[in-house]
Amino acid sequence: MIEKEVTVTNRAGLHTRPASMIVRTASQFQAEFFIQKDGYEINGKSIIGVMTLAAEQGATLNLIFDGSDEQEALKAMEAIFEDGFGEVK
Amino acid sequence: MTDPAATSEAFKVCKGIGVSPGIAIGPAYLYARVSFEVEERSIDPEQIEGEKERFEHAVKRAERDLHKIIAITREKLGEDSATIFEAQLLMLRDEAMYPEVVSFIEKKGINAGYAVQTVMSKHRQVMEASDSEYLRERSNDLLDIQDRIIRHLRRGRILSAVDEESIVIAENLTAADIILFSRRGILGCAMDFGGPTSHVSIMARALGVPAVVSTHGATKEVSTGDLVILDGIRGELIVNPDEATLESYRVKQKRYERLLQEDKQLVNQPAETLDGHPVLLQANLELREEIPLMEENGAKGVGLFRTEMLLLMEGRAIVTEEEQAIEYTKVVEAVAPHTTTFRILDLGGDKLLPMGHREHNPFLGWRGIRIMLDKPELMTPQLRAILRASAKGPTRLLLPMITSIGEVRRFKEMLAETMDALDKEGVAFDRDIPVGVMVEVPSVALQAELFAKEVDFFSIGTNDLTQYVLAVDRGNDLVAEIYNELHPAVLELIRMTSEAAHKEGIPVSLCGELATNLRAVPVLLGLGVDSLSASPVYLPAMKRVIRAMKRSEGEALAARALASSDPEEFRRFMDRWLEEHACGVSFFLEGPEA
Repeated sequence: MIEKEVTVTNRAGLHTRPASMIVRTASQFQAEFFIQKDGYEINGKSIIGVMTLAAEQGATLNLIFDGSDEQEALKAMEAIFEDGFGEVK
Repeated sequence: MTDPAATSEAFKVCKGIGVSPGIAIGPAYLYARVSFEVEERSIDPEQIEGEKERFEHAVKRAERDLHKIIAITREKLGEDSATIFEAQLLMLRDEAMYPEVVSFIEKKGINAGYAVQTVMSKHRQVMEASDSEYLRERSNDLLDIQDRIIRHLRRGRILSAVDEESIVIAENLTAADIILFSRRGILGCAMDFGGPTSHVSIMARALGVPAVVSTHGATKEVSTGDLVILDGIRGELIVNPDEATLESYRVKQKRYERLLQEDKQLVNQPAETLDGHPVLLQANLELREEIPLMEENGAKGVGLFRTEMLLLMEGRAIVTEEEQAIEYTKVVEAVAPHTTTFRILDLGGDKLLPMGHREHNPFLGWRGIRIMLDKPELMTPQLRAILRASAKGPTRLLLPMITSIGEVRRFKEMLAETMDALDKEGVAFDRDIPVGVMVEVPSVALQAELFAKEVDFFSIGTNDLTQYVLAVDRGNDLVAEIYNELHPAVLELIRMTSEAAHKEGIPVSLCGELATNLRAVPVLLGLGVDSLSASPVYLPAMKRVIRAMKRSEGEALAARALASSDPEEFRRFMDRWLEEHACGVSFFLEGPEA
C-alpha cells in the first residue's frame, strides 16, 4: 500500500469533468484506490464518490493505492493532478 | 393526420425567434420537463426481483441514450462538449449509485424510483454543502442522471409518447433533449424561452432540426395533438392553421427542401457575382463548438466572435485573462488560416450587465465600449487574452458601441500600454493586429470619413443602427412595424460608410441580421459592402443570391431602394427580382427576425 498527499490545483475544483478523469485513470489499474479528505474517505473509482468530496482549489487530498500496480497507478494519478486536469489553474 | 377535434380550435400564431431554419408540419407534442417527485410505494417481497429488473432495464435504456448523445455531441460539437455526458454514463453503474439503489429496494422493500431519488438526493446534499458555488451547481449533474433514470422507469407514459412525426413544444429544452428527439425523428421544436445563441439552438442548427425559441408561452396555446406549422425561417409557430395556410406552407416546405439540396452543392463554390466580384462570407459565432458548422457551410473566417457568451456561460462577472486566453487561442487556431474577429465585450443594452446595474434606458446608456473604457479591470484582461491568441493566427479586434473618435483614441492608448506590458513579459502577439469599429451608432456613419482614417476596418451592425436611426425599439410590439432595416435612411448610412471606407482603402463588412435577409443581399453589395457575416447556416442561401447577380445590378437595386418611399412595394419588387434571378428563393427571404 502506498499513500501520497496532493493538492487540487485547477480553479474550478473537482467537479464533474475532473472527477470522471480521476475515475477513468484509476480504472485502468488493478490496484484499489481511496481518497481521504478531512477524515472522510471515498472509493476513488466511484465518480459520485469523488464528486461528493466537493474538493475545491487548494484542497489537500490523501491518495491511497493498494495492489500490484500501485506505483504505476500513483504516477498516473499524480500526473493528472499536476496538470490540473487540463483546466485553468 | 389532422385530428378533427383539433382543427375546430382557433387559429393562432405564436411569434418567436427562428434559430434553425426549416419548415415542419405535424401534430404538436407538449413536452413537460419536470423534476420528477417520486412517491414511496411498498413492494411485496415476491415482486422485489421484478422491481430490481425494472431498475436494471431503466439503467440500460439510460445508457443507450447516453451513448447516442455522446456520439452525436462528439461529432457535432467536439470532444470537450461530450465529456459531461461521459461522466453521466459512469454514474449509472457507479458503486455509490447502482448497488446502493438495489440494496435499498431489497432491504426496505420499496419502489425503484423512490430508491433512486433517495440515494441521489443524499449525494446531492453533500455537494450542496460545499463552500464553492461552482461545485454546488455541479450537483445538477447528479439531478440530471436521477431524472434520466426515473424518466425511463416511467417510460411508458413519458418519453415514448414523443411521436416520431411530431413537433415538440416545451418551456425549455437542453442540448441533450434535442439530440434524443432528433434521433426519434421529430420534425421540429419550439420553446417558450431561449435565445439564438444558447447551446440548444446551436445543437438544433447542427442537427438540422427546425427550431423556434422565445415564443413567450407557446406551451400555453398548444395541446398535444394540435396540428401546428413550425416556421424556423420566420420564427413562427402556427397553431391549428386553416386549409389555405396549410397548403401554402406545404408548397414552401417542398421548395425549401429542394433549395437545401442545391445549397449543399454550393459550399465549395466561390462567393462571387456573375461579373466576377468576390464577396467575403464569414460566420458570426458565439461558441467554439460552432466552428464545425462554419466549415460545413463554407464560411471564410469569423466576421464576428461575440465574447459575451463566455461570461454568461461561466455565470461569473469576471472571467480571468487565463481562461479567456485558452478559449480565444483555441478559436484562432481552429479558424486559421482564416481570420477571427473578436468583438470586445458588448455588455449593456439587452445584454446582462455585471454587478446588478439597472438603467431606465439601457440602449442609450452604459454599454459596450463605454463600460470597457471605464473599467480597465474588464478591458485589460480581455485585451491581453486576445493579443496572446493573436500569436497563433490571423486575429482582428472589433470595438462595440463606438460614438466618437475620442473613444477610439483612448482605446488605442490602452492597447499600446497593454502591448508594452506584454513585450516586457516576453509574451508573443501580433503587433499589427487590425482594429475596427462597429458602425451601429449613426454618428459613426455620419463621420465615417474621419473614422476611416484611424481604424483598419468597419463592421456594420444593422440591428442597433436601425433602431438608433429610426428611434424604434424592435422588441416593442406597438412600434415593431416601424422597424425596417431596409429604410432608405439606414441604407444611406450604409452607403456613406462604404464610400468612406473605400476612399481610405479599408474593408467594410456587415454582421447584422440584415445580411441573412435575401432581399437585402443584392442591395448591400450594390451599396459597396465587401463582406457579409452571419450565423453559418444562412451562408449557403446568401451565396446562392450572390452567384446569381451582377454587381452592377446590385448598384441599380441599391439606387432603387434608396429612392423607395413604400417599403411594401420594394419588398414585392425584390421578391420578383429574386424569383427571376436566383432560382426561386423568394420565400426563403426572412432572416431570423425579419
